[in-house]
Amino acid sequence: MSRTPPNTEEPKLLPGEPAPRQPVSPATPPSTEIIPAFVPMRQLSELPKDELEQLAEEFGLSVGDYKSSQHLVAAIHDRRQMIGGLDRETLLEVIRWGRRPVLANLNKEQLAQEIVRIKSMRFEGLSQQGLVVLTKLRGVKVNATDDVPTLVNKLKKKEGLFTRMNRKRRAMLGSLVSNMLGESESAKTGNDYQFVPPADAVGASSTTATPSPKSAMPSIKEEIEDAGLFSGIAGRIKRSADDYLNQKLDEIESRIDRKLDEIDRRLAEWRDKEIANRIRILKITLWASVIVGAFSLIYAYVHELVYPSPAPPVPQKQADIRSK
Amino acid sequence: MPDVDFFQFFRYTLGTIATIYATILTLQSMWAWIVWLSGHDKYISLVRRYVIVHGLRLRFKSFWGDVIICMLLCVVFLLLWYAHGQMRHMFTAYHAAKASL
Repeated sequence: MSRTPPNTEEPKLLPGEPAPRQPVSPATPPSTEIIPAFVPMRQLSELPKDELEQLAEEFGLSVGDYKSSQHLVAAIHDRRQMIGGLDRETLLEVIRWGRRPVLANLNKEQLAQEIVRIKSMRFEGLSQQGLVVLTKLRGVKVNATDDVPTLVNKLKKKEGLFTRMNRKRRAMLGSLVSNMLGESESAKTGNDYQFVPPADAVGASSTTATPSPKSAMPSIKEEIEDAGLFSGIAGRIKRSADDYLNQKLDEIESRIDRKLDEIDRRLAEWRDKEIANRIRILKITLWASVIVGAFSLIYAYVHELVYPSPAPPVPQKQADIRSK
Repeated sequence: MPDVDFFQFFRYTLGTIATIYATILTLQSMWAWIVWLSGHDKYISLVRRYVIVHGLRLRFKSFWGDVIICMLLCVVFLLLWYAHGQMRHMFTAYHAAKASL
C-alpha cells in the first residue's frame, strides 16, 4: 500500500477545484489528466467520516491503515492522482481480463474502481502493463524494471498468508463442487469479452449487442474461489435465473415483433385492397356516365332528326325586312 | 308563359343538389379526420406518423392501370359533354337558318 505523508497544513481538494499542487510520490507517474467520477461539490476533508471511508474503499484503500481522516484524505488524493496517470487502454485491458460488466466509455476513475473489485489471483492472459496497473491499484509499489514474475510475486505477497489459505480452501471447495456438478474446465466458454453497450445503443446495432451471459461467466470453481462457497453458488444461481429470464424476455420480444410485423403487413394489404376497390368503383361510375352520355348524345341526334324541334320565333322587324 | 322543360329542370336540380350534398359530406369527413389527426396526444401523433408512413409506402405501380383508365374516362366524359353543347348549337343554327329562308 503506497502511503504518502499527510499534509495537515493544506486542505485536500477534489480535482477540478483550485487546489495547490501536491508533491507526487516517486512510485506514481506525474498526472496528466484527471477525470472526476462525480461532480465535486465539497472538499474531501469536509466529507463525513463514513462517506470518506466508503470513497477510500472504492479506490482500494484499506481504511484501517490510516490514523486520521486527514491521512485518509491525503491517500485518496494520491490514489486519484495515480489513477489519472494510468493509461486508459491498459485499464480497459484489465477490465477485459477480469470480465467485469462495464460500459466501454467509463472514465478512468470508474474503471479503476471496477478493477479494485477484481479479487482474482489468476493472472493468465494479462500483459505486463496490465499487471503493473493491477499491482498499483492493489496498493503495491511497482518499479519500472519489474518483469511479470516479479509483479506476480509482489501481488501474491500482498495477498497475505491467511487470505491465500482461505483462497486455496475456497478453490478446493470449488473444485469439489465443480466435480459434483460435472462441470469440466473444457466446458468453460472461451468467447471474447464484450463491453456492456450503452443504454441508447441497445437494439440500434447488432455489433453492440448485449454480451452473451455465458461469455462473461467464469466456471463455478473460479466463482467459489473468488467469492466463497455460498456467494459463488448464489451468484451462479442468480446468473442462471437471469439467463432464463433474459431468454424468456427475448422470446416474448421476438413474438411481439412478429405479431407487429404481421399486423403491419395485414394493414398494408387491407390498404391496397381498399384503394383498389375505391378506384374500381370510380371506374365503374365513370364507365356508366360515359355510356349514358354517349347514349344521350345519339338519342338527342336521332330525336332531332325524327322530331325536329320548332324553329325559334323570328323577331317582327327581321320578318318585315325579309318580306320586303 | 315560360316554356319549362320539366325533364331538364329535374335533371339540373338533381345534379346540383347531389353535387352540393356530396361535396359537403366529403369536406365534413375530411375536416373531422384532420382535426382528429392533428391532436397533441402521443398516441394520436403515433397514428398520424403511421398514416403518413402508409401513405408514403403506397406504390403508384399497383394501381396505375386503373388510374389511367379513370383519367381517360374523365377525358371522354368531358368530350361527350362538349359534343352535346356543340350539337345543340348546331341544331339551333340549323333551325334558325331554315326558318329564315
